Amino acid sequence: MLHGGPGPYGVSTPRILIVDDDPNLLVILAEQLRGDGYEVQTARDGDEALRRLAHAWPDLLVIDMLMPRMDGLTLAREVKARADLPIIVLSAIDTADSKADLLDEVAEDYVTKPYHYPELRARIQRVLRRLGDRVPRQRLELGPRLALELHRRVAEVDGTTVTLTPTESRLLYALAANLGQTVTTETLLARGWADTEDADPSYVWVTMRRLRQKVEVDPNKPAHLLTVRGIGYRLVSAGTPAT
Amino acid sequence: MTIGGGGPEPDPVPDPARLAYRGSGPGFRTRMTIGLVAAAVIPVVGFGLVVLLLAGLEPATNAALTRAFLSAIVVSVVLGVLLAALLSATLASALRALIRSVDRVSAGDDSAAVELPGDDEISRLAESQNRLARDLARRNTELRRLLDALQAINLDEPPLIIARRAAIDARAAFGMIDCEIALVDPREVPREEAVPGEPVPVRAELGMAGGAIGVVTGHLPATRRWERADQDLLELFAIEVSAAIRNAQLYARVEAQNRRLLSLDEAKDDFLRGVSHNLQTPLASIRGYAQQLAAEQPDRRLEIITEQVDRLSRMVRQLLTVSRIESGALRSRLEVFAPAARVRKTWEALGAADVPFTLEDRSEGWLALGDRDQLDQVLWALLDNAVGYGGRTPIDAVVALDPVTKDLLVTIADHGPGVPDEDRERLFGRFERGTGRPSGEGSGLGLYASRALCRAMGGDLELGPAEPGRGARFTVRLPAEAPDES
Repeated sequence: MLHGGPGPYGVSTPRILIVDDDPNLLVILAEQLRGDGYEVQTARDGDEALRRLAHAWPDLLVIDMLMPRMDGLTLAREVKARADLPIIVLSAIDTADSKADLLDEVAEDYVTKPYHYPELRARIQRVLRRLGDRVPRQRLELGPRLALELHRRVAEVDGTTVTLTPTESRLLYALAANLGQTVTTETLLARGWADTEDADPSYVWVTMRRLRQKVEVDPNKPAHLLTVRGIGYRLVSAGTPAT
Repeated sequence: MTIGGGGPEPDPVPDPARLAYRGSGPGFRTRMTIGLVAAAVIPVVGFGLVVLLLAGLEPATNAALTRAFLSAIVVSVVLGVLLAALLSATLASALRALIRSVDRVSAGDDSAAVELPGDDEISRLAESQNRLARDLARRNTELRRLLDALQAINLDEPPLIIARRAAIDARAAFGMIDCEIALVDPREVPREEAVPGEPVPVRAELGMAGGAIGVVTGHLPATRRWERADQDLLELFAIEVSAAIRNAQLYARVEAQNRRLLSLDEAKDDFLRGVSHNLQTPLASIRGYAQQLAAEQPDRRLEIITEQVDRLSRMVRQLLTVSRIESGALRSRLEVFAPAARVRKTWEALGAADVPFTLEDRSEGWLALGDRDQLDQVLWALLDNAVGYGGRTPIDAVVALDPVTKDLLVTIADHGPGVPDEDRERLFGRFERGTGRPSGEGSGLGLYASRALCRAMGGDLELGPAEPGRGARFTVRLPAEAPDES
């Protein structure tokens, strides 16, 4: 299911705008994505991309990090200032890079160059699927001792700011979009590990345990991140009556 | 030399308990002389008188003579003793008062003035002692002020400001009319002549070993004394100020250097990021086209192109990793994952299908905590080494749980010649290569970068001891978590 076609996004084909200064890469990537049923537009630089945005909004942008004139980071900020469109950044940056955090703030995800197409496709699918459970880019107060700012990948626990990993914030996104309701382990697995073939429910269990260590004041008596044994997890505001 | 007056220090307060020594009348020397002369002359005169009397009297009156002789001796002795006692009493009390005053001054009580009016030597000695005490008190105050001023110097400030503040402090401490510190060669500031009745010019060089960096000049009120000790104090202050200015200059230089290094580091990072990006972009194109072609018509050569592209791109990333290790900017994003799957995937990407490979997973479902991307780099380096140095002997990979530390251990072993114990640690150094692999292959950075990556993830990378008949055995250690629902 994870590597199927674009499938369940509604009736229209998802539109993707690719921005890269390397024409070869534009051609290959556009062909690969079209082959998977996406509608693809390309732009050679940031200005061209912004001009295209003025006409119509794509469902997702794939932006190259390093481009002459306007770099990917600036373009991503410009795009987000106009509309909250999902962005995947393509770059030579990896997690150890000092700029990775900057990317986190403006981009939904990033893929290191040279990209492996199946991985890129999986990430595009995941980001597009997340459109269904969009959380506004704002602070989410869950009680006197917990607030989430998922677009910044931080949580504020009892006045202290803790940073969340991309996977942790993805899981919280899925849970927050269904606040108070149980989200199954399978759903969380698909949200957090769309590009990992060998993922297993234990990934969710362990990550939730670690997440609880971060965001719960007393991880042994969780107030917000509740386990629904054998089914999944539930995120609740403090004071929400149990169901 | 004028006697200090108008200084900040108060005049000695007369103490009523002081001995009423009166130094008026004949001088000390005169009195001493009179006393000694009297003590010596009176008995002699007495004796002479007796002898004269004896000469003019009958021998029969011997008894009377002896009586007269004895009483004369007694009278002269009594007179002499009385005179000496009187003399020593007046002298001793004055000296005792002086001794007390000196003792108190030397004990640090510089208000210990001694009151001995008059103009004889003892009185003048007392006056000198009082002046000494006053001078000491004044210099102590100056010294305290100067020390406070030196302590208050802020090395963050530019030298000119430090010099200006020091000049203000020196003026206040020494009671100068004006004071200035010029940070120039002292020879450029002409030396002023002292003119009697006009403000007294003072001057000291801000000198250290290696030449003076400036000069402090100022003027004292015409009535102020300026002794050798005052000059010494000013010179000492000048030396301390010049040391502070030197330090401030060094500090500023170090700060500037730090800023420059930081910006250079940033520039280097940007440069490497740019180079890496510019290398990876064409590699991405090559890879993409090769895969496209392979999809149309499978060809082993296209697979080799893809593998070699991946190899090249990994080397570029390794260089980037090394540069981050050097600048201390290496960091990891920890996520949970099963390492066995990463080993399998990396092995497949390596494209060494002709080398026998086994993977045994004894992790019991435990998940490692690490940066997948970084572990991939480590595994790739280890497996690539195992193929190269192992001479294409079979490679065994085992993922197991350390029963004690509850870490996950990923062991990669070949069946080649192994690594002698003396080379074990050396191999983890930079640009170190093992023997037994064609020269020019490998960057010599693989194990160095791998160990740093493992440590950044909170784990480690070790090479097991050499055992006869077994090859090299590398073990990656990673923190792990139990796979329980919670």
